[in-house]
Amino acid sequence: MNDFFTDSFLVALNLILGFDIELYYVVWTSLKISFSSILITSFLCIPLGLVFAFRNFPGKPVLQSILNTLMAMPTVVVGLLLFGLLGRRGAFGELELLYTQTAMVIGQCVLIFPIILNLVISAANTADPRIRSTSVALGAGRVQQLVIFVNEVRFAMMAAIVAGFGRAIGEVGVAMMLGGNIEGYTRTMTTAIILETSKGEFEFALALGMLLLLVAFVVNGLLEKFQKLNK
Amino acid sequence: MTAVYELKDVQFRFDGNLVLDIGYCSIERGRSVAIVGPNGSGKTTLLNMLAFLSKPARGYIKYLQVSVNDRNRGDFRRRVGYVQQNPYLFNMPVFENVELGLKLRGTAKKVRRRRALDILAQLGLENLAGRRAHELSGGEIQKVALARALVLEPEVLILDEPFTYLDKSSSFEFENFLTLARNGREQTVIFSLHDHIRAQVLADEVCSIIDGKLIRESSINLFHGRFSAETGCFDTGRMNIRLPGAGNSCRMIAVEPSQIVLSRAELDSSMRNSFPGRVTSMHSQGSNVHVTVDVGEKFHTVISGAAQEALKLGPGDAVWLSFKSNAVKVIR
Repeated sequence: MNDFFTDSFLVALNLILGFDIELYYVVWTSLKISFSSILITSFLCIPLGLVFAFRNFPGKPVLQSILNTLMAMPTVVVGLLLFGLLGRRGAFGELELLYTQTAMVIGQCVLIFPIILNLVISAANTADPRIRSTSVALGAGRVQQLVIFVNEVRFAMMAAIVAGFGRAIGEVGVAMMLGGNIEGYTRTMTTAIILETSKGEFEFALALGMLLLLVAFVVNGLLEKFQKLNK
Repeated sequence: MTAVYELKDVQFRFDGNLVLDIGYCSIERGRSVAIVGPNGSGKTTLLNMLAFLSKPARGYIKYLQVSVNDRNRGDFRRRVGYVQQNPYLFNMPVFENVELGLKLRGTAKKVRRRRALDILAQLGLENLAGRRAHELSGGEIQKVALARALVLEPEVLILDEPFTYLDKSSSFEFENFLTLARNGREQTVIFSLHDHIRAQVLADEVCSIIDGKLIRESSINLFHGRFSAETGCFDTGRMNIRLPGAGNSCRMIAVEPSQIVLSRAELDSSMRNSFPGRVTSMHSQGSNVHVTVDVGEKFHTVISGAAQEALKLGPGDAVWLSFKSNAVKVIR
């Protein structure tokens, strides 16, 4: 058993250090999809989160509870719901998005939207109240106040984005159900790990697992750095 | 003199409670005005309103004879420099903090950088220019915040509790710093603080704020002179005042009006300061009567209405003025 693992580990290491094209193509696909999702979600969540934090409106506490619940939404459930919508017989079936990278991006956006939104809201809520009053006192107009605020909480915002990215890159349910694990197209690190393991290609799966861990490590390092800078 | 501010029937409510209720108040241009009052008395609320950060629930404010409304409030805000209590510095170097107000006004980068560095140099803060807020002490943050307000060359400078977060030596240093900052400027300065005596020393005019009501405070008795350890007296040049003890470097003392006793005849008491004099002026305010007595130096005193009933003082009357040596506070 020990020998099997050591041997596999060495082969996996060889694949990584030998820059195996197939391996790195899967990594590239994963990164591309997750980066796209994070970019779209961040553009939506930062302004929305600020509006949510600064405005009072009826039903705000209920919406906050729903958002909190959605943060823990299982990835397969997101996959399942979107499968129903994007599948041939679904409401958006005509768009023929199922088993495309676009479908995976949509799925990941839905998955990380509540996470980033919630983190942006809490960053805005816990920010120093003097930020706003100081910028107003310095003569900032409405837009200028917002720019100053975002700039001031930028590290907390970055931390929110990085946390969302961590969730997106490591998820498997959406990628599997909406991407379909098509080789060279929608195969990501997580779906490939499952497939390769079941095929008996443990070394390849292990190499991907190690690279995924590396990505997680970098993401965590960034998260810690941003959280420290935000203090 | 022009009034820079005129407030009439101004009320401010917080959560439905009346926190500020000012019948009439005007602040002359170029004066320095201290607002004194305990925590929660409405000082910050008043200053926020004078800095145009908030608007009154009722009444009106005139700024340089123009009524302030929703349309011009933003413009007026840019003419006032406001250093808030426990000021906040943005997460950027000090010089960028100082030039931020100019940047918001669209001043060209070169010009605003030069002006920011100029004001920092003028206030002796050039060594802080590249530092960030978390590397500064409370006193330094206070000074940078003042520089950030001054660089905008505001017509009015408002400081909310500038001494609260400073220790004794930093407070004294900041007092001198404020004097330095005011040199050569003709701004109106309005600041709030707890300490009546410091307010009297620093400001041309002192207002007390009690339960949201603004009351102009009469002067405390401040005297410049020299202390002699041999005689145990402070010589003002016109009279000697006994102190419990002070260093030879003592140059300024204060006697609070409420600590002074007036009597028709000399009192046989433990009070070590007792002087004969004459009433020069008097006026009543609420249930109290303010009496000014000349005993070589003019002393301002406050007696109750009941005491006035008994003494029946009138201008020109001979009177004895007494106070304990403990009632004398050494200012510096």
